[in-house]
Amino acid sequence: MARLLIVDDERDIRHLYAAELEDEGYEVDSAGSGAEAAEKLNHQHFDLVVLDIQMKGESGLQLLQKIVKERTDLPVILCTAFSCYKEDFSSWLADGYVVKSSDLSELKREIDRVLKKKQS
Amino acid sequence: MPLGCCWNKETISPDECRFLRPGDDDLLFNRKKRFLARCLECPLFLEELRRLNGDPDSLPAFFFYAIEEILALRAEMHGLTQQTEARAREIRFLHEVSQILQTSVSMDEVLSLALTAITAGKGFGLNRAILLLVDKDRQHLKGHIAVGPRNREEAGRIWHEIESHDYSLQDMGQILREQKMAAEKEKFRDLLEIISVPMSRAEHLFIGTLNEQRTRHILNLWEEPGVDRRQAEVLGVGELLLVPLISKNRRIGLLLADNIINGRPITAEDAQSLETFALPVAFAIERASLYERLQEELGKVTEANNRLREQQELIVRMEKMALVGKIASNISHTIRNPLTIIGGFARSLLKHTPPEDAKRGHIESIIRESRRLEEVLQEVLSYSESLHPTFDWWDINQLITGVFAGMRDDLEMNRVACRFDLEPNLPKAKLDFKKISYCLRALVTNAIEAMPDGGEIVARSALQGERIHVELADNGPGMSAETIRTVTAPFFSTKDSGSGLGLSLCTRILDEHGALLDIASELGSGTTITIKFTIAREDDHGPLADR
Repeated sequence: MARLLIVDDERDIRHLYAAELEDEGYEVDSAGSGAEAAEKLNHQHFDLVVLDIQMKGESGLQLLQKIVKERTDLPVILCTAFSCYKEDFSSWLADGYVVKSSDLSELKREIDRVLKKKQS
Repeated sequence: MPLGCCWNKETISPDECRFLRPGDDDLLFNRKKRFLARCLECPLFLEELRRLNGDPDSLPAFFFYAIEEILALRAEMHGLTQQTEARAREIRFLHEVSQILQTSVSMDEVLSLALTAITAGKGFGLNRAILLLVDKDRQHLKGHIAVGPRNREEAGRIWHEIESHDYSLQDMGQILREQKMAAEKEKFRDLLEIISVPMSRAEHLFIGTLNEQRTRHILNLWEEPGVDRRQAEVLGVGELLLVPLISKNRRIGLLLADNIINGRPITAEDAQSLETFALPVAFAIERASLYERLQEELGKVTEANNRLREQQELIVRMEKMALVGKIASNISHTIRNPLTIIGGFARSLLKHTPPEDAKRGHIESIIRESRRLEEVLQEVLSYSESLHPTFDWWDINQLITGVFAGMRDDLEMNRVACRFDLEPNLPKAKLDFKKISYCLRALVTNAIEAMPDGGEIVARSALQGERIHVELADNGPGMSAETIRTVTAPFFSTKDSGSGLGLSLCTRILDEHGALLDIASELGSGTTITIKFTIAREDDHGPLADR
């Protein structure tokens, strides 16, 4: 069973994602900040990170750079309200990119795609 | 009364002198006047004088000398008066024409008036005038326009028309300009073409006349060695006047005039008058042509100005749109999170609500409405995003030069020269301008940093089959085979500073574009990086369309 880490500073978003993704059969943990996420990544195993960009404190893009640098095998999907982040070149490092929506099916599809790609 | 001489009568009747002319009435009663006006030329008086003159040494004998002298002086005076009148007429004519020439800046007006003046009876009255002008590049003396009848029949018709209308010179000029100029040009088209001469042919009669700046009166054109046989034939005339048009030592053109129809010999006065006339004509032509050029330049400036204004308006519009985009993005962020939560939980709730539960309708309403709001948001955002489409058909050469232009300061500061060898007319490639620009910038930055003591980067582009190759070659220290293997792995950097994102991000971007990256390098002989772009077809959506 794949373990996912949800990183978002909005508590309700974390809860929503966790509930929905657990329904899909994933094991889900979450972090409310970049620092908390880094801490968890250091001590636990995850198969994929779903990462918000705009967060208080360390931004999602900063965390993304760290992850790509230290954990090259860990895929990251950026999930954000800002579609224009697509134009920030550091966001191009992510394996996937989803614009936040109340309909989580796109996020679910993207997670499935990235995990399958990683396995192959 | 026998018909005798009446010179000694104080008054006479009209019958007494048969040499009186109509209007001589006052001479009947004035002996002195009559004597001076008529008697000096009257054979009866001279007979009487001879009869009185028995002695050759007598005083009357000397009268003959005096009378002879008086008559000679009279004849001379008559000639002079006629000449003066002709001169005055000419001056009036020149004055009239010059005034128009001086004020006109229209080339057609100047030419038509000048040629009319030469050919009209009220002007110099020559049969035909042909104008050759030095062209803009000053390479050729070209036949420009000719005026005059082509043959005797046409001449008769034209002269008749002019006589019956009694046009003024200015009228005739205007008629020529407005009604006949095009026809005259067409009529003489072959002639004008044949008599054109390259300026380099200094031995040619026309060019020689122009270079020497001296009017020439040719009596027999057929014997002139400086004229092509064909030109003499098409001119069809033996006697020809050539007047150079010079304005401030600048060669403007050449005027040819002849009497091809009536064959009247060209006089020295004709030549002199035309030479005088050529001065204001040359000046007016020069001015009109300068004015034409000025108008042309003015047109260009106006056009550039218009374009500039359009660009400015576009910039203002784009700035406004960019602002709209920014606002839209901010709103999107503020609204999207709560919407995601509301709609997301509603969906989640619905999944866990049994079909028969009455609350399902309420939950479905929440989902429907939040979806509607999200759609509105998406519309606003796609509008603001579409303002800056970066994934499109781009000219790769333009992209390369743009990147280097943006890095000029960097290159100069690090003493790195760059050279371009770009294949012109490459097909456009569908790519993300920003991303590929980023890639090229990263590669050029790497090259600059690999050459701390300066060096050279050569950027090449070329079409190779189905791909466009972009090559960046530096003459830095190069890399070992081992380094090349690891260099594209994420975060590789031989540098102490920097994130090392550069090259790995490049490979990722190029991957997305279906482009290949080749690195050829040898220690000590520089590095050449080649990017091989595919040429996307119009119907391709490209690698990024779904992102």
